[in-house]
Amino acid sequence: MRESTIMKIHYGTALAAVALVAVHILMRLTTGFAESLEYENVLANYKFIPYAAMLELILILLAVHGFNGLRVILLELKQGRMYEKAVSYGCLVAMFGLIAYGSNTIIRTNMGMT
Amino acid sequence: MTNDENKEGIGGMANPRRYGIERVAYLLMRLSGLGLLAYFVAHIYETSNILRGQVGWNEFLELTQTTGGHIFLAIVIGMCVFHTVNGVRVMLGHGGVGVGKPARPDYPYDPASQNYRHKIGIYSAIVLAAVAMMYGLAVMFGE
Repeated sequence: MRESTIMKIHYGTALAAVALVAVHILMRLTTGFAESLEYENVLANYKFIPYAAMLELILILLAVHGFNGLRVILLELKQGRMYEKAVSYGCLVAMFGLIAYGSNTIIRTNMGMT
Repeated sequence: MTNDENKEGIGGMANPRRYGIERVAYLLMRLSGLGLLAYFVAHIYETSNILRGQVGWNEFLELTQTTGGHIFLAIVIGMCVFHTVNGVRVMLGHGGVGVGKPARPDYPYDPASQNYRHKIGIYSAIVLAAVAMMYGLAVMFGE
């Protein structure tokens, strides 16, 4: 993929994540901060499908943005054919791994498998 | 000076003492990005404790809902706000907003893109991050 396209994805994921993370944080402030983190409240959040879908979207957006950012930093430090391939594929694997791990939490909690 | 001697590596990239506030913003952007990625991974792990049921969730909450945990979270809030505001500034700059008009380079060769608009953007990001940290601390310790 062209670097210009990757940077557009990087900026797009950033802007979308800012909006959704703002909603995520505001949900913590609807009740008291400590109260919003109580087990029953968090479980209710996960079981509310629109909110669970938003969490999944945030997970994907931030994983893409975060690991592409890490890739950019690592490519600024050092260059080379093998190194660049290793960094790019390494970040891709880490990104998919994190999305899979986070999705597992969201899906299983949403379905009541806790 | 040969090319090898001129290589400063990570030290050269991280040195904030040259090139003004723009270099500081560059460094803070990368540090906050790495910090936020580390926090994001830890947050995904932290929230997965809900799969261990109420006992597991409460056990983990006891670790994070402490004075140290709140201070750590305030630092995360600061990094998040700085990264966001400075990121918007960088995006606007890449889009040609606020970088000035192309002109003939004359002595002392001040880059048109490193102008007061972007400097204000960087200082605003730092101030907003500090305000958000204080607000976060007030919310977390105010209960």
